[in-house]
Amino acid sequence: MEYQNASEMNGGVDRNLNTCKRNSLCREKKDFKDTVDAKKLSHIEKAYTTILSELGEDVDREGLLRTPLRAAKAMQFLTKGYKETTQDVLNDAIFDENHEEIVIVKDIELFSLCEHHLVPFFGKAHIAYLPNKKVVGLSKLARIVEIYSRRLQVQERLTKQIASAISEALEPAGVAVVIEAVHMCMVMRGVQKMNASTVTSVMLGRFHDDPTARKEFLSLTMRK
Amino acid sequence: MEDSEQTQYGSTEKPDRGAVLNGHFDGMVKCPAPGGSGRTAAAAATSAAAGAQNPGAESGAHQPVMESWREERTRSVEDNESSLPSLAAAYTTILRGLGEDPQRQGLLKTPWRAATAMQFFTKGYQEKIIDVLNDAIFDEDHDEMVIVKDIDMFSMCEHHLVPIFGRVHIGYLPNKRVLGLSKLARIVEIYSRRLQVQERLTKQIAVAITEALHPTGVGVVIEATHMCMVMRGVQKMNSKTVTSTMLGVFREDPKTRDEFLALIRS
Repeated sequence: MEYQNASEMNGGVDRNLNTCKRNSLCREKKDFKDTVDAKKLSHIEKAYTTILSELGEDVDREGLLRTPLRAAKAMQFLTKGYKETTQDVLNDAIFDENHEEIVIVKDIELFSLCEHHLVPFFGKAHIAYLPNKKVVGLSKLARIVEIYSRRLQVQERLTKQIASAISEALEPAGVAVVIEAVHMCMVMRGVQKMNASTVTSVMLGRFHDDPTARKEFLSLTMRK
Repeated sequence: MEDSEQTQYGSTEKPDRGAVLNGHFDGMVKCPAPGGSGRTAAAAATSAAAGAQNPGAESGAHQPVMESWREERTRSVEDNESSLPSLAAAYTTILRGLGEDPQRQGLLKTPWRAATAMQFFTKGYQEKIIDVLNDAIFDEDHDEMVIVKDIDMFSMCEHHLVPIFGRVHIGYLPNKRVLGLSKLARIVEIYSRRLQVQERLTKQIAVAITEALHPTGVGVVIEATHMCMVMRGVQKMNSKTVTSTMLGVFREDPKTRDEFLALIRS
């Protein structure tokens, strides 16, 4: 399924976020947003209290007293990627540079949540691109991974979103993304296979068309 | 035979709900005496201390054991089915609160899957040690250390409801009675599939083995990674938490403890 741009995938994107933070009208919007956020937090907190009691636990024991609040905040942190866009992160870190060889950032730790079971999956992402007169600050590649991984995800979609985001932002000659992850939903429950890991990859541009470029990328990243 | 656990199962005491903690109640506690005969120390039964620690009951050489052998199940298989709809509704609320659309294709059945998954992660509340161990205790004239190590363990942090995973190493010195080896792993499963704190988990495993076998000593070491520290908060990827509980001769005799620790490292 082809998407027009990365922001259409994976549910809605909060478009209010890109308003200017300097004038009072925007501050009003921000205050309103804060109230809405606090309300959402308390809904999630109540939901967690229900969950704890339905699981057979005693919600009033000391260790669980503030757990609904902590769990709600944890869940919000783990899905904070919904509130961030690539533009916020990249806007000023794209530089003109006459470099056309492969640039790789590998072993980027990645933590996400399986959208089917709400259980974490984590692993590493390796990203490569072939610049076309424009290079990006290296940490921005890791920040793009953060934006898309801190959501309810499916590993295939996550890989594609990262590749598309870099493609749209830099218009490079090629982009390659490989993610290797362990899914707790397979390890802790279900089939319970401790050592299984899932690898997905997306190759765009020259990495897709040219086998030599792809081979170079894979040999530089997948070395043990 | 006269000290066998069987006679105590007939007791009809039922704790009131208020005294149940993490599936256990502060009932009668037993001191693990090396001779194999249980000495019961009366503990303040009903006004349960919030945590597992009961400082008033500590004494000199023999550390009193904090939980009772006869835990009540707080959940049954029927409870699971009847609580599924409200669990699923709670998860739908959470999805909406996070800004997601519960009606999109990938999330349509997620509340049910997440609810069933969470019930699986807390299935320890449905199980009792007695059911698992009843027929796998054998009389054997073996008094050297028995170790089962690298038992994979998965638990849930009770503070953030996020997974904890790691390995458990268990060693014990039998006192005329040995336990089926997989039963040690099953004890780990029962206590780890709950909302836990690693310190308490370690102690519960050690206590359960002590009360089942009355061995000369028990040692339990757990090394785990806490996703609440790795995925959020401080975000330290490579940190590990190690806790240990040494009871009986493992606590008193440094050479035994050293042997145990050396064998689990190798």
